[in-house]
Amino acid sequence: MKSYTQISGEIGEFSDLPFWKKADVVDLAYVGYGLLIVTLVVVSYVLGSFNLLPHDPQDLDLNLMMAPPGTVGHVLGTDFMGRDMLSRLIVGIQAYFLPGLLAIFIALFFGTVLGVLAGYRGGMFDTAITYFTNLVDSFPRLVLILLVIAAFKPSIYYIMMVVGLTNVPVVASLIKGKILFLKQKNFIEADTALGLPVGTIILKHILWHNCRTLLIIQATLGMAEAILMETSLSYLGFGVQEPTPSWGNMVQAGANYFMQGKFWPSTAPALAILFTILGFHLLGDGLNNILEGKRRGT
Amino acid sequence: MTTAPLLKIEDLRTYFYSRSKQAFIRSVDGVTVELARGETLGVVGESGSGKSITALSIMGLISAGPGVISGKIGFKSNGTQKNLLQDLGDYVTLTKKDDRIMNVSKDLVEWEKNVERVMRTIRGKEIAMIFQNPKSSLNPFVPVGKQITEAIQLHTSVKGEQEAKDRALYWLDRVKIDSPRLRFDNHPYGLSGGMCQRAMIAMALASQPSLLIADEPTTGLDATIQSKIVDLLAELKSEFGITTMLISHDISIISRLSDSVAVMYGGTIVEYGPARDILAPDFASKHPYTEALLASIPSAQDIKEQGYLQAIEGDVLDTINTPPGCRFYGRCTRVTDAIREKCAYKEPDLREIAPGHKVRCWLYFD
Amino acid sequence: MPKTILEVIDLKKHFTHRKGMLSALKGKEQSIPAVDGVSFYLKENETVGLVGESGCGKTTIGRTILRLTPATSGKILFDGNDITNMPTGELRKLRGQMQMIFQDLDAALNPKMRIRDILKEAITVHHKISDAEVGKRIAELLDQVNLKKSKLSNFPHELSGGEKRRVGVARVLSVGARLIVADEPTSALDVSIQAQVVNLLRDLQKQLALSYLFISHDLRVVELISHKVAVMYLGKIAEIGLARRIAHKPSHPYTHVLWSSLVEKQSKESLQATRNVQAGSWGVFDFERPFTGCRFAPRCPVYESKGKPDICTNPATEPQLRDIGDAHQVACHFPL
Repeated sequence: MKSYTQISGEIGEFSDLPFWKKADVVDLAYVGYGLLIVTLVVVSYVLGSFNLLPHDPQDLDLNLMMAPPGTVGHVLGTDFMGRDMLSRLIVGIQAYFLPGLLAIFIALFFGTVLGVLAGYRGGMFDTAITYFTNLVDSFPRLVLILLVIAAFKPSIYYIMMVVGLTNVPVVASLIKGKILFLKQKNFIEADTALGLPVGTIILKHILWHNCRTLLIIQATLGMAEAILMETSLSYLGFGVQEPTPSWGNMVQAGANYFMQGKFWPSTAPALAILFTILGFHLLGDGLNNILEGKRRGT
Repeated sequence: MTTAPLLKIEDLRTYFYSRSKQAFIRSVDGVTVELARGETLGVVGESGSGKSITALSIMGLISAGPGVISGKIGFKSNGTQKNLLQDLGDYVTLTKKDDRIMNVSKDLVEWEKNVERVMRTIRGKEIAMIFQNPKSSLNPFVPVGKQITEAIQLHTSVKGEQEAKDRALYWLDRVKIDSPRLRFDNHPYGLSGGMCQRAMIAMALASQPSLLIADEPTTGLDATIQSKIVDLLAELKSEFGITTMLISHDISIISRLSDSVAVMYGGTIVEYGPARDILAPDFASKHPYTEALLASIPSAQDIKEQGYLQAIEGDVLDTINTPPGCRFYGRCTRVTDAIREKCAYKEPDLREIAPGHKVRCWLYFD
Repeated sequence: MPKTILEVIDLKKHFTHRKGMLSALKGKEQSIPAVDGVSFYLKENETVGLVGESGCGKTTIGRTILRLTPATSGKILFDGNDITNMPTGELRKLRGQMQMIFQDLDAALNPKMRIRDILKEAITVHHKISDAEVGKRIAELLDQVNLKKSKLSNFPHELSGGEKRRVGVARVLSVGARLIVADEPTSALDVSIQAQVVNLLRDLQKQLALSYLFISHDLRVVELISHKVAVMYLGKIAEIGLARRIAHKPSHPYTHVLWSSLVEKQSKESLQATRNVQAGSWGVFDFERPFTGCRFAPRCPVYESKGKPDICTNPATEPQLRDIGDAHQVACHFPL
């Protein structure tokens, strides 16, 4: 019968380890990739705003249509009108970046406020907010967006406001759930007993210490969703209109050439969408595990 | 003239691998004890002593996750001697890197299968266990009576629905629950803590096990209810003579119900012997921990003098970083210069210093 | 003559038990009288123990007194000030002086904050203090509660039970507590650590002239540490008097039952007496059987032995607390 008595050895001092040693390799990889994507997006946004592009995205070069990636002067090739793919992709980010941030801000801000009211004050607030969030939740989002587009201009900002609003229930219920959980642990009560002002309790103890991971994750998911929303709408023709490039309408425009066997004009933006959204999702997932100290597997 | 013991635990070690500390948490670190038929063994200890884990190890409930067990648990099941820990070591492999355990890989599926193979016919049927916090140990969605009926149908030869129900009612009555017919249909949340505990005892005894393990059966219950549960256990003991392992940190119920006592500290037994001797306030040769433990309970004397309680300084043993010598060394007030060196570096073994009385302390032998 | 730091007059706290959302409209709300008319007082530098079984309302009283939950009716006077309905802004200033030690060891400790930050926050709640002062005060506190300095950079989950309890005490002291409601301060701890905490609390009382409302189900510790003891049953005080008297010569039958349940003290007679009593779902508020008269009657051996006299169960003659001399009050028609 095996015995484990002989086994001993040095004890690792886990809490003091830097986070890259504590975390799972998979999570680190996810976060690494996610951060890469975020950097690329932000840098691209900045480049795009200041027009620091390798080529003018509208510049046609009819001699070099649908050039494959790696062609001289066009790292990612050209589209069906000879326009530089890379520049178009970079500019395409303009379509969703700021609007996405707007959606995130709306969702997180209002979601947190409602969540805190429902969770902390409870009672009538809770009931009212639950009714309200259920109402918003049951609205089919796409229908709402199309209504907004029909009623107002098809501005991506209006659309993102709707996206943000429809995400408020999710954030609110997460925050509320967290608060209810914390209430069980008594330390909200203990803080009140100590004499801490309500503002401090909510902002510092509840939100900063216990909810920030949650909010960060919601932000990453929010951006991923914004990208998906914007590109889908542009693909359908409702969002950004040609010739202003958006990844969505680039896929749309390039679709015709698929039948001709020319895959690149559609595929390039599609891959951009895929890798970017993936990046945000993985970033959220990885960060969640690292910040919460969770492990995978065993 | 010793009949073979019902339960014989030999050098039981239950370690949990902690990835964050990259070391084993040695919850049970070498327990050797025997239980004769009809005997009630009281296991006393505080948190971290490993007493609950010992019980779970016997029941085969340490299966999932990073727990590894070694040692031998001999149990007389239906006349045949069995080792409840058979073959378990085969499913665990350790990866070491210069003396530090990097990983423990356990074939969870095979481990579970093996445990189930051995314990399926024993658990609940021959060894029954009752737990602390009776309300949360019962299934909250199923009426209490049904749970007992299920247990009866599963573990005894009584398979018929109505028959089993009658038996269940019989046992509910036996444990002196009031209005058994009414309580039969109650869910655990509708019953008080004391009643839930009685129901759990009924469930355990209904299958007529040869060994009953009671893990903190009175903790969490009100004072008046506690004494009633203890009364019940005492009555059942004298009526059925069931072999019992009673685990508790409450010395008063241990002294009321046990024949022999094992005091655990830091994962091992530091003292073992007849209950009335070890727990008697004036018994001379005791392990310093036992002595200190008994002294820290407010006695009538303390209360009268309104004096200070005799606390044991320091904290409970860290079971990862077990010191080289005696586990109680840092907190022991009876160390003498003559043995100080030994106490600090060499762990004493559990030795018999008088018939039936074993102690793990350098004060009593070389 | 030490002055009265806390006085509670006919305090009531009823919880509404709603059966479904529309019950308020239908008027079907039932109220659970967790605390049903409790009066007592606590002087400076004194400890009043509060005992009773679970469900008797002792924890609720503690929380109500500290305004963690609003009182239904009655008066709470702290240092002579009526705080029963004091607005929260004003109340916050007094909060520092009346603190609670929670039963749950982790209660006061935000798991994401280090001990040093937890204490610093508590110290700076009511006053703005320089960092150097804070450092000094923390060192003082650690010394008072006997906690090692190395624990300051740890997180709560890295501390043992006893250490967590001591941090809780330090936190409460740092904010200037004079009255401490200790709700089961020793229950979650091992016996040997309990002794440490009890000794600590006594030391602190001596040093700082603190007043404790010591809520516990551990009768021995209560007897040891309290000057006076109040025994509660189902929301009312059954008996209140000097600790020694309550423990050794109780007047109320319930007190007697309670103290004789200490397992080692069980003598044949007390076993007999309690055995004859009907084993019902006692100590739990039962909607089906609302109170008529004395709440303890169904379990009372004296009631049994006197042939179930009507005076005990008649709601008009429900026993009230009355003085039987020597700072001793009892709510019973047939005190022992």
